[in-house]
Amino acid sequence: MKHINMAEDREIMREIWDGRIPVCFSIYLEDLESEEPESVYLMMPRLSYFPLVTEKIQKHFIKYVSSEKQGEMWLEYEGQPLKWHYPIGLLFDLFACKDNLPWSVTVHFQNFPEEDLIHCSSKEAVESHYISTVKEADTLKHRGQVINSMQKRDHKQLWSGLLHEKFDQFWSVNKKLMESSGEDMFKSIPFRLYFSERPYVQQLFRPVNAEGYSQTLRDLLMEVVPSLWNEDKTFSRTVVIHGVEPSLDMPLLWMSEHLSYPDNYLHFCILDKPKVEKG
Amino acid sequence: MSTDDTELKETTNLEPTDEASADKKPTENDEELENKEQQPQAGASNTAIEAKSKIDVLLKPAGDAPIMKKKRWAVERNKRVSWISEFIKKYLKLDQKESMFLYVQQSFAPSPDTEIGTVFDCFGSDGKLVVHYCRTQAWG
Repeated sequence: MKHINMAEDREIMREIWDGRIPVCFSIYLEDLESEEPESVYLMMPRLSYFPLVTEKIQKHFIKYVSSEKQGEMWLEYEGQPLKWHYPIGLLFDLFACKDNLPWSVTVHFQNFPEEDLIHCSSKEAVESHYISTVKEADTLKHRGQVINSMQKRDHKQLWSGLLHEKFDQFWSVNKKLMESSGEDMFKSIPFRLYFSERPYVQQLFRPVNAEGYSQTLRDLLMEVVPSLWNEDKTFSRTVVIHGVEPSLDMPLLWMSEHLSYPDNYLHFCILDKPKVEKG
Repeated sequence: MSTDDTELKETTNLEPTDEASADKKPTENDEELENKEQQPQAGASNTAIEAKSKIDVLLKPAGDAPIMKKKRWAVERNKRVSWISEFIKKYLKLDQKESMFLYVQQSFAPSPDTEIGTVFDCFGSDGKLVVHYCRTQAWG
């Protein structure tokens, strides 16, 4: 496959960066003191994390909760607690992308689900989780050499680019992490496969196979989840990333460079096929 | 000590290790691993998931963290990273409220809800996973 030109690549990265999801936040009624506050509608950036963009939500709803019931805020969708350390777009694709918009998320201040969620003390907790995931990804790509050769201010710039949604600021640092020519060729592709019913799967997977050919998304799925393929060589599920179903023939290296989340991982959702496919 | 400890079995063959490369090799010394059953695999394959259900984890202190007398443990693949930090605190008789940071390859902190088996598949070497533990953030 010939490489698409750089300007088009950049346009794709920009589109993904600008992705938004309309979300309707409502408070869990049992947490309420008396009157029921109105729901809040907001456009949430797909690539961000809930704690970075829900300060207003917390401030709005907490007024209606009596002080002894004001625990740490957490979010839930149809009984599913939403992990703050997953990007918003990933949570939506995994649990809600087949449902109607806006995405109806319930806000809780009590009964924190200790089994399912990690506590989030502050935005610094998100930052430290985020930088750690970038390091993990670079350990897979470059044995950690790129991230570790960066200075603290580069890490800060990466984070602040994400926090303030500044594309150019973010990419001026992130492009170094995405360097994949010559010596810097990715050793492995940082990816995770998410299922609604089980923990994610992550393995070592090289961008180029033993014969020297570029590996595609199809190659990855055949190696990592062979049991999900039908006898006629069709994939039995649907793969979704950034709200779209990518072609299985896409080269994985290109995907990693251009479609990774800001944490430098390709987060693929493996969903059931819609049941109404055949009439 | 709690009943949880029965799930951890000390492995034999205590040898010094270094955590150099991300390359992994299958391990041989699994005499402790009587439990061969696989974790539930709804849909996912088990090609790359080795037949054994436990992996060797080597726990090393960093910073001012106390040393553990037993360093090498066989841990079930589907245990979470957070379970290891709870275990270390229990073993060292630390307050459960105290912070415990875990690091892989002396570089990054795996997310607490990641399965140990997954961390091992990507970052284990020489048949084991080396985890550094620390009471303060060691590698920012």
